[in-house]
Amino acid sequence: MSLAKKLPWVFKYRPRRIDELVNQEEAKRLFIEWLNSWFQGKPGKKAVLLYGPPGSGKNSLVEAAAKERGLELIEMNASDYRRSTDIERIAIVSSRGGSLKSDRGRIIVLDEVDGVSATADLGALESILNLIENTSHPVVLIANDPWDPKLRELRDACMMIEFKRLTKTDVKKVLRSICSSERLECEEEALSYIAEKAEGDLRSAINDLEAVGEGFGKVTLATVKALLRARDRDLNIFDVVRKIMISKYAWQAREASTQTDLAPDELIKWVHENLPRQALDPDDLWRAYEALSRADVYLSRIIRTGNWDLLSYAVDMMTAGVALSIKNEDYKYKWVKYSFPETIRLMVKTREARQVREDLARLIASHLKCSTSTVKSDVIPYLKVIFDNNPEYAAKLALGLNLSESMIRYLSESKGDTIVRQVERFRQEIRKTGTEGKPTSTIPESRPSSKRTEKKEVKSSRGLEDFFKKQL
Amino acid sequence: MREQDYSGVLMSSRGVLTELLWAEKYRPKSLQEMVNQEDIVKRLQVFVKEKNMPHLLFAGPPGTGKTTAAHALAHDLYGEDYRLYMLELNASDERGIDVIRTKVKEFSRSKLPVGVPFKIVLLDEADNMTADAQQALRRLMEMYVDVTRFILIANYPSKIIEPIQSRCAVFRFTSLKREDVVARLKWICSHEKVVCDDKGLDAIYEVSGGDMRRAINILQASAALGEVNLSNVYKVVGLATPAEVRALLKTALFEGDFLKSRDTLRKLMVTYGLSGVDIVKQLHREIFSSEVPIPEEIRVEIADYLGEVQYRLVEGADDEIQLSALLAKLVLLGKTLRQQPPPARPSKR
Repeated sequence: MSLAKKLPWVFKYRPRRIDELVNQEEAKRLFIEWLNSWFQGKPGKKAVLLYGPPGSGKNSLVEAAAKERGLELIEMNASDYRRSTDIERIAIVSSRGGSLKSDRGRIIVLDEVDGVSATADLGALESILNLIENTSHPVVLIANDPWDPKLRELRDACMMIEFKRLTKTDVKKVLRSICSSERLECEEEALSYIAEKAEGDLRSAINDLEAVGEGFGKVTLATVKALLRARDRDLNIFDVVRKIMISKYAWQAREASTQTDLAPDELIKWVHENLPRQALDPDDLWRAYEALSRADVYLSRIIRTGNWDLLSYAVDMMTAGVALSIKNEDYKYKWVKYSFPETIRLMVKTREARQVREDLARLIASHLKCSTSTVKSDVIPYLKVIFDNNPEYAAKLALGLNLSESMIRYLSESKGDTIVRQVERFRQEIRKTGTEGKPTSTIPESRPSSKRTEKKEVKSSRGLEDFFKKQL
Repeated sequence: MREQDYSGVLMSSRGVLTELLWAEKYRPKSLQEMVNQEDIVKRLQVFVKEKNMPHLLFAGPPGTGKTTAAHALAHDLYGEDYRLYMLELNASDERGIDVIRTKVKEFSRSKLPVGVPFKIVLLDEADNMTADAQQALRRLMEMYVDVTRFILIANYPSKIIEPIQSRCAVFRFTSLKREDVVARLKWICSHEKVVCDDKGLDAIYEVSGGDMRRAINILQASAALGEVNLSNVYKVVGLATPAEVRALLKTALFEGDFLKSRDTLRKLMVTYGLSGVDIVKQLHREIFSSEVPIPEEIRVEIADYLGEVQYRLVEGADDEIQLSALLAKLVLLGKTLRQQPPPARPSKR
């Protein structure tokens, strides 16, 4: 598999040129003018602040511009520059250069500036202001919400460029072109559904498309609906989970859980899915899972006792409990790709097979008078041994238990065909030799055959219903 | 209630071309056919003779004849059509309070048919019933005792609430003795004209732990491989234990690959349909196997945590999250193991 294939689609399909960027004409024009002014030596303002809803193209614009002009991007996101020392380190890089002719031009990008907390990341904002003042390279700040009072000084120091929320048509256009590049079969209504759910967030729309496309091989309304039901509306769930994991303080992690309308019993699945990608250190992973399993215990107690007061403890453990368990900073702030809860995908994918398994378990449970879970753990494994190793005997059992073809195939992947054919041969043989119609008399009395009792059971179950009716 | 297609084709068989599970085929139909639990059988036969009985609680390990005894008792009381007068529920599959309030209540209070002393409600795996369902049940047992008797079946009678226990005559089924199991298996083999040897039958007893149903299942699978001998029995047991359970230990403990082991876990749950408790129990068997080279003190540490996980699962916690926590624990415990080469397999003393 080539590397390009493994790249997440949001990266694979990043625009390479500014004009490939969908919509945002006004922002593009202003940004190009500003960038040109830098290279003509007289920038009006040394920094721009790109702002707008998530997935509207802010990062993409900067990257496309850098690619087009051959500029080196120096990027940091909120988790990297929580401390003023970190920012000073960039500041050094940014004030250097320029003097060397061979040096490529650079753009400094600070993402998620609205994520910098005025109190917790003491001095960080001041350091950014310093950076802007002293830089010899263009500085781009990016934020979703620039109107936070704490960012007032930054706003003054920057040229403000607004990104509009993308329309459904914009989003669908991009999705359609990705589908054709990936040779992916896509239903138009499915794309509409994704675009609708994304509410202008192209990044999340592409992530959704990828999750469905890779999970199912085609994008239909049914698969999309199955997978995206859990999707969060106003804040990308991936961002929420990331926020929980990289939080330094308990309050940050807890706050993150309020930024999604995902219920705690859903949220815990997302944290569970992605935790091992962020907590690579075995000690961290164990601590975090201990916290997560405690959260799960609280959730189960809520279900059992109906005591909803316990909910906040469950949320504490799945957010702050997890965040503070991850101590190894090498992994904590490393950017990794997050995923949909795999189990949801697996469940959708295996629905038919599971249905067969449940039907089979119920059928055998009624024969053996035990529970379906006993059948699954204690009977089906042995049946599989028989079906894998002795097709002829398996065919007799299949006839005796009246198994369907899909049940037979469930019991033996390798010999399924052989057994099904054998069953068919036996059936024909029975048809030839057997008497049609009144069958029971042909079963020898000496054999402890359950055919007779079986028949009675059916009759008696009907009798029971009559019994009920009579009595009521 | 079961619905099956009894087509003429199948029924016209002479029995040669169809086969059943032996656990069903050789299940005793009446009390006198039961070959073990003699004391219990004798007491139950008294109930049949007097056409009267209290509420009953059958307790004991799986595969010791509890369900069989209940059906045989009903059979002896009412004859072949005993299922007309008995409501069977498996509480593992229908364990909620709704079932008690609707199905069970409706049946319990219905009037007695002529000539029948009482109806029977059979609640199998009753220890899996929720606490409030048990409370509701207790009321029904009091209110309709004149027309309906309950037989509750449980592996762990302690999980049945005290007031119900005190209303029942408790019958404790004991693990089957080796000679009883072996004799029964031999008897089945002679009926089926299957070649078997003592070592093979002994091995079946060992691996089934006195659980007759499991023993018969293993017997039938071994017979399907040709004959019932030691090597076939071990082959069956090996094939029937999903290799993935041992793979969980390998990838988590020895390789430290959490993500891979979690994928395996999901396969076990989604594809095989195993419950979290099933997996915990199978892991428990694995960690004490001499074929798995774990330092002794770590075996104990894992066992301790397995116990904690099982408790949480029984309380209602989520299978996947609790077992993932277990895998994280294994990855951590294995950290020191992975730094040194795995110890050689202990030689047999």
